[in-house]
Amino acid sequence: MARASTTSDVFNAIAEVSRREILDALMAGEKAVGAIVDDLSMSQPQVSKHLRVLSEVGLVKCRAQGRHRLYSLEPARLRPLHDWLAQYEQMWNERLDRIDDYLKELQKRESSSDG
Amino acid sequence: MTDNRHGSARIEFPSELEVLITREFDAPIALVFDVLTKPEHVSKWGATPPDQMTECSIDLRVGGKYHYSFVTEDGTVCSFSGTYLEVEPPFRTAETWLFGGWPDAEAVETWQLHETDGVTTVTMRLAFRDKAGRDHYPTRPRDTGEMSSSGGFLDSLDAMEDILRSLLDLTGTVSE
Repeated sequence: MARASTTSDVFNAIAEVSRREILDALMAGEKAVGAIVDDLSMSQPQVSKHLRVLSEVGLVKCRAQGRHRLYSLEPARLRPLHDWLAQYEQMWNERLDRIDDYLKELQKRESSSDG
Repeated sequence: MTDNRHGSARIEFPSELEVLITREFDAPIALVFDVLTKPEHVSKWGATPPDQMTECSIDLRVGGKYHYSFVTEDGTVCSFSGTYLEVEPPFRTAETWLFGGWPDAEAVETWQLHETDGVTTVTMRLAFRDKAGRDHYPTRPRDTGEMSSSGGFLDSLDAMEDILRSLLDLTGTVSE
């Protein structure tokens, strides 16, 4: 699977387990940094650092509410990953479909030589 | 009766080191096993056109070796090889799996077959030994071609599975 260079940042962003945990934490909805810190066993500076990376690649967005900054997911940005997974699934499907076609051909040949 | 099972393979990632693929075929188990393990058959389906199979040798016995390679349209040679660890026709084979493009990603590939009412279910499990490949993923050039970054490949798939499945359920915005 060759990866499009434009998606590589997103791949890098989710290659780090802590950042995936943050994405998981945000699945429940919009959260302030403090709430994410409470959810995960990470320090606030760590969470902030990872949120910065996730924001840079657009996987999370941030808005200010009073003194708080609230973070939420941008799931549409996972589209390149979805496409990439689909490509992998397609590769396997093509391979297994070829085996399927070949089996059918063999069975057809076998039954016609029997009859 | 299913006329066409195209596109029906199921792909799962049971752990961060494993890929599991399941597919049904409307054919008896013995025939499916032969098609998966005999060179005269594998050479017929082993490469996706326009890729061309250039080598297909299979010594189907415990300790025996196999080697497949194919060349892509742009001349890239992809080579897969390994040694059989278990051979139980027509139910199961297990073999080491080495891909030329991922020199440090050792894996064990297991094929299991079972037949019910004329339908043979095939599962292929690829289990990577460790995270060696993935540990140096960030320093590996990303554009050296197909499937070149072993660790990142699996890591991203794990992450994607977790994240995508939840997000797809939750928001429906990723899928169309």
